[in-house]
Amino acid sequence: MIQMYHVDMRYEGGLYALRDISVAVERGEFVFLTGSSGAGKSTLLRLLFGAEHPSRGQILVAGRNVSRMGRNQVAELRRQIGVIFQDFKLLPERTVFENVAVALEIAGVPRREIRARVWSTLKRLGLGHRLDHRPRALSGGEQQRVAIARALVNDPPLLLADEPTGNLDPELALDIMDIIADAHARGTTVLVATHDPSLLERHRFRHLTLDKGRLIGDRRPELFQSGAHRSLSPGS
Amino acid sequence: MTDSSRSMRRITTGIRSGLRGMRSAPLVFFISVSTMAVGLLLLGAFMLVVQNMRGSLERVGDEFSVVAFLPVGVEPTPSEVAGLRKRLEGLQGVVKATYVSRSEALERLRSDLGKDSTILEELVDNPLPASFELVLGLDTRTPDTVRDLAAKARNVEGIDDARYGEAWVEGYSKILRGLGWVGLALGGGLALALGVIIAGTVRLAVYARADEIQIQRLVGAGAIYVRLPFYVQAVIQGAFGAVLAVLLLYGLFRSGLPLLSDPIQFLIGRTAPTFFGPLGVLGMVGIGIGLGLAAAVVSLFRVEDP
Repeated sequence: MIQMYHVDMRYEGGLYALRDISVAVERGEFVFLTGSSGAGKSTLLRLLFGAEHPSRGQILVAGRNVSRMGRNQVAELRRQIGVIFQDFKLLPERTVFENVAVALEIAGVPRREIRARVWSTLKRLGLGHRLDHRPRALSGGEQQRVAIARALVNDPPLLLADEPTGNLDPELALDIMDIIADAHARGTTVLVATHDPSLLERHRFRHLTLDKGRLIGDRRPELFQSGAHRSLSPGS
Repeated sequence: MTDSSRSMRRITTGIRSGLRGMRSAPLVFFISVSTMAVGLLLLGAFMLVVQNMRGSLERVGDEFSVVAFLPVGVEPTPSEVAGLRKRLEGLQGVVKATYVSRSEALERLRSDLGKDSTILEELVDNPLPASFELVLGLDTRTPDTVRDLAAKARNVEGIDDARYGEAWVEGYSKILRGLGWVGLALGGGLALALGVIIAGTVRLAVYARADEIQIQRLVGAGAIYVRLPFYVQAVIQGAFGAVLAVLLLYGLFRSGLPLLSDPIQFLIGRTAPTFFGPLGVLGMVGIGIGLGLAAAVVSLFRVEDP
């Protein structure tokens, strides 16, 4: 689903946010992206949904080269990727229903189908009774569930989540992670950036570790039992 | 689901989004329409002045005429008058040639002089020549055609000279041309200034909706989807602003006419000023829509990532 080859992300002034990242994520995988603040987790996700272009290297998402995409192609790609953010990014003046429907409207889905799909997605996430509420009337956990509903309503093959539980208390965080894990169980490839160790403990999925823009670890679930994991040398 | 039906749905969603944007921010809509209306009111007032000045000058142009004189002292016979009339009416652009005898010419002069006509009593003989007044067709009443026609009339056998008020016609021609250029420059300047103001309000609307645009982009909105609501708003604001401007202008036109009779008379003479006709009103609405749309296109083009 995702292939990155020797990707650098360098900002003006010569500062590297990512350096020589090469990694592949298979279709249907669940991968945690871990590392301390400033390690480059968000930058890596931003590269994957075309918000930024790499300074060097190639990025393939679903077989398409994101690093060379124009604006229209990026828009088309994003209709097939669900993205979740720490700060939810909901439209405060729109209802829960409208916030979720926007993804389908942009995809050009007929209105009747939009109603049915938004309703069933919100119901699945326990928000069936909140359709007409505005985001400010919801708790943090509910707001994040709306954001997840918006990301999943299109049945995207790939879901990217940038610190999706960062603003939530631990109990709600586990609840949100369960929803994301459920999406994975339905076949969605998932990449979650987090620095919360409790999530990694609870969900035994592959995790990639970044440090100062370099990929320094790639730990796979089959190695968890033995406690072993493959450490990557810088630049590998 | 075909790509074209998806695109059509995106367009209708974009239009709905534009309408919703106006409903959700009525104050912004009101301010934008008012700004547009004030700007168009100025532009419309200027266009109205130019229209009336041009109309006045064109009416003056209707009075263009050419007078073909016979040699001094010649009194033609009726058959000679008929022959000359036939030849003069045969010239292209001449609708009618009216004969003015020497005695009629003297009578007219006497009438024009009024109480000073006593000076004519000193004359021993009538010094005025007989002449033909040539009435011109509507399409011939331009300075160039009048000049050409006078030259042709001079070449008609039996005609000594032809006059058309050369200095006056040339001056009129210059005024009309000058008014055209001044109108273009001032009108263009006003339209440009209005366009800049509207572009500013569109950009403010873009910044006010920056979060919404960012979210739309994140879930895959293309440039057209993001921009279409602003285009829709610009068109509607332009139309509303223009209608409001026309109504205000009409109100001012009606209420201001009696107060401004002196300056109006100075500008356009004694003729009654006229307001825009249906085409003029449609033109104003068209200008409003066009300016709004152009300003939206330019301002969104200049915004890095709307």
